[in-house]
Amino acid sequence: MLRYIASRFLLWIPSVILVMLGVYALAFYGAGDPIKLIFLRAPGDVAYDPVRIEAIRETAGLNRPFIEQFISYILNLAHGNFGNSLSSGRSVWAIISAAAPVSMSLGLCAIVLTAVVAIPLGMIAALNQNTRIDYAILGSALFLWAIPPYVAGPLLMVGLLVLLPNVPVPYGWGGIFDARIILPLIVLSFQPIALIVRQTRAAVIEVLSEDFVRTARAKGVPETIVAIKHILRPVLTPVVTQLGLIMITIVNGAIFVELVFGLPGLGRLTVSALTDSDYPVILAITLIGSFLVMLSNLLVDVLYPLLDPRAADTMKSR
Amino acid sequence: MNAMTMSAPERLLDVKGLSIEIDTRRGPATIVDGINLHVNKGETLGIVGESGCGKSLTMLSLMRLLPNKIKVKSGTANFAGRDLLTMSKSELRKVRGGQVGFVFQDPMTSLNPVMRIGDQICEPLIYHKAMKRADARIRATELLRLVGIPSPAERLDAFPHELSGGMRQRVMIAIGLACDPELLIADEPTTALDVTIQAQIVDLVKELRVKLGMSVVWITHDLALIAGLVDRVAVLYAGTVVEDAPVEELFANPSHPYTRGLLASIPKLSDVAANRLSSIGGTPPEPGRRPLGCPFAPRCQLAEDICRQSVPPLEPLGGSGPHRVACFVAQRQLEAA
Amino acid sequence: MATIPMTPAELDEPKTSLWRDAWYRLVRNKLAIFGLFVIIVLAFAAAFGPYLTPYDFLSQDLDARNAAPSWAHLFGTDDLGRDVFSRVIYGTRTAFVVAIVVTAIAVTIGVALGAMAGFFGGWLDRIIMWLTDVTMSVPNLLLVVVINASLKAPLAAWMEAQYMATLNPFFRETIWVDFILVFGSMALISWPPYARLVRAQVLSIRSRPYITAARALGLTTRIILMRYVVPNAVGPLIVSVSAGLGTAMVLESAFSFLGVGVNPPTPSWGNMISDGLRVWQHYPHLLAAPAAVLGLATVGFSFLGDGLNDALNPRGSK
Repeated sequence: MLRYIASRFLLWIPSVILVMLGVYALAFYGAGDPIKLIFLRAPGDVAYDPVRIEAIRETAGLNRPFIEQFISYILNLAHGNFGNSLSSGRSVWAIISAAAPVSMSLGLCAIVLTAVVAIPLGMIAALNQNTRIDYAILGSALFLWAIPPYVAGPLLMVGLLVLLPNVPVPYGWGGIFDARIILPLIVLSFQPIALIVRQTRAAVIEVLSEDFVRTARAKGVPETIVAIKHILRPVLTPVVTQLGLIMITIVNGAIFVELVFGLPGLGRLTVSALTDSDYPVILAITLIGSFLVMLSNLLVDVLYPLLDPRAADTMKSR
Repeated sequence: MNAMTMSAPERLLDVKGLSIEIDTRRGPATIVDGINLHVNKGETLGIVGESGCGKSLTMLSLMRLLPNKIKVKSGTANFAGRDLLTMSKSELRKVRGGQVGFVFQDPMTSLNPVMRIGDQICEPLIYHKAMKRADARIRATELLRLVGIPSPAERLDAFPHELSGGMRQRVMIAIGLACDPELLIADEPTTALDVTIQAQIVDLVKELRVKLGMSVVWITHDLALIAGLVDRVAVLYAGTVVEDAPVEELFANPSHPYTRGLLASIPKLSDVAANRLSSIGGTPPEPGRRPLGCPFAPRCQLAEDICRQSVPPLEPLGGSGPHRVACFVAQRQLEAA
Repeated sequence: MATIPMTPAELDEPKTSLWRDAWYRLVRNKLAIFGLFVIIVLAFAAAFGPYLTPYDFLSQDLDARNAAPSWAHLFGTDDLGRDVFSRVIYGTRTAFVVAIVVTAIAVTIGVALGAMAGFFGGWLDRIIMWLTDVTMSVPNLLLVVVINASLKAPLAAWMEAQYMATLNPFFRETIWVDFILVFGSMALISWPPYARLVRAQVLSIRSRPYITAARALGLTTRIILMRYVVPNAVGPLIVSVSAGLGTAMVLESAFSFLGVGVNPPTPSWGNMISDGLRVWQHYPHLLAAPAAVLGLATVGFSFLGDGLNDALNPRGSK
């Protein structure tokens, strides 16, 4: 298993290098001169002093050809050196490690919330197929799916303040156990919940028509046990495979949610880095985003044989 | 055979006037039309008919396991003194798997693919006999040995896909037998298996029903397969019982034209040598398009006007006795003789 | 939609009852018909927007700023006195243009690469599948935002230079900069699902018994392709295109919301929502109108996609 995980990681490296190459090229050819970008913001008029700029460029190695600079960037990455931010001059690593825990804990909680809320709801809907309960659950899921987080966020925020004027404004970050986290967490989970409710419902309906469910009933197994042991288990397999997609939905959603609720995470960092054309930061965020998606896909592959013994056999024979 | 020689056989299962309907886009259509069936204690009943004649649905309806669109319209099913069709869900749950074991057609899809077979056999023991898991596993090992699975203790932790088709069906039978049921319903248990394995399964059930003293209902479309297994045969056609007789009597004196057709279509070596195989012309009526009179009349060469106008009742041949047939022509021919 | 390889004539072709069956199944599905109706209405508004709108989307009426909805202005007016109804309709136009062009490009790339991968196999297959993996392993919103943010200035400069050199009025329309970037970047992240789908279809169809049977009958590869492979692959592709159009609309509004998509004054649901959020406590109609239409479009495509899936893949659903 460890060897499998290691080989997956090694396979991921060339693909992430390709992505980094693309973003690096965008920065190199698209964004303009990084030195100029720095000094345009700095006090004084260094930006208009070509001699000094050239000197800085020389020392920073920024006058070398594109591919040479890219390779040295990747080599630095391999040593854990992410470079420095263009706008603040701080190390990118420090900036990221300050922002990442915010997003990570938020995202992880959103995934847990999604699983805890969406899987039972999807199951209830399927077990009551074509009844009012089913329509109510499906309808709400569809509603959540149709509201983008940048609309849901502000609406709920103001709605909360109108209903409960004494509650502190849900803006800012005080750790994951702070009450202010509740609203952003809910907003971030809306679309993943909608996705998983529909997935679970479809999977349960499919499993319900399977012969082995009839066998379980013919054995006199109580209905609740049938639902948990015979229906939920096979349903988890297709639902878990959606983890990668959920991760992308959450990474996308985090950009808006952090913006709206003033959370100092990676999403807000992305937006500010883009406005500042702070490419070292953007590159690092791209790397992390891609790593997260890879990690969730890997997790799916590791979990899959645990959920479906037939898949375990094909894994062994591979 | 043994049941028939008893003076007053006690009825374990008695189905009366059972009708089943399916919801179609054009409205409800009758699939099973007022069936009367019974199974005596210790007896093995064969239910024979072509696919779609309602034989499986009849048995599924007794355990209230019908798919959503198919519903029981009327009838009673008395099992050990209680009506299966109206009893409460908790009572029914005790009957399912406890007093009545079920063996399904396709062991590939009927076993849960993500659950070890030991756990699947233990389930009825845990929920009916309130056994501890460890005790249930000991009993499950015994059951696997009983159905002839080699090294049963190791097989407990196997998944269904790790077993062959015949082994899977033996596991299904072990599940059906787990709680010493009074009745075992086997729904075409050999259809998905190889011919050699089919005979093994038939022999296994034949041996077990004597050993365990239970009643068996064996549903099949293959009359020849169960000739040596069953005591009595009910022939189903288009959702009605057309003939019901002890097995030797049925083979010796088939009275309904459909039964005769069925028996004639069993290939014999002489037929194969003569390069001729017998079949019944035409197709059974679709549900919702049943003829007014005898459902077999459109395909029957002996059909008369009365057959097309009214439904023949299932009555003892010659007025009394265990051989019953639903055919005007057969009844009259006997009177004339 | 122009790239769906199916013409109305083929739809009516009597010998393929597949399409007619699918059509009947679709018509019976009330939700799918509702979705289709919503999409047709929106598409109509998009196509004939200029003839329907009571006002030009740019015309300002400074005497009637932030007016509430009335008969004169169905959805009210915004902070510059522009008619919100007209702007929403023009936003629909933007959304449909982006969705259709992006999906068309993505389907073309995806079908071509997927079919090549499926037919030729070997190293070509491996490279193409690797590219889909790479593309799908990057959080899509992030990538598009980075591309748009970095290339906007250079592309605008290039257009300016072209205009100075050629005096072609096309190059003076800065709106094209936005559209070209949105089309390109979104197509870049949207093609992999189509490629995977087509490849999987080609592979699975190639190994099905009826293709072997057709081969055994001595049919040529070309006939097998046209008669068996193409009709079977088209169904899932239509389902996927319907979902893709909806996704593209949502993504477009998300980019425009972040200010990296279609920029004002060109109306887009996303930038209208972004504007509306600033003042919505005072003028809720400015947020409600574009958000409701965006939600309606999402729900419409979602319903139609589900309905098409049920109609075209009857075995996959109950």
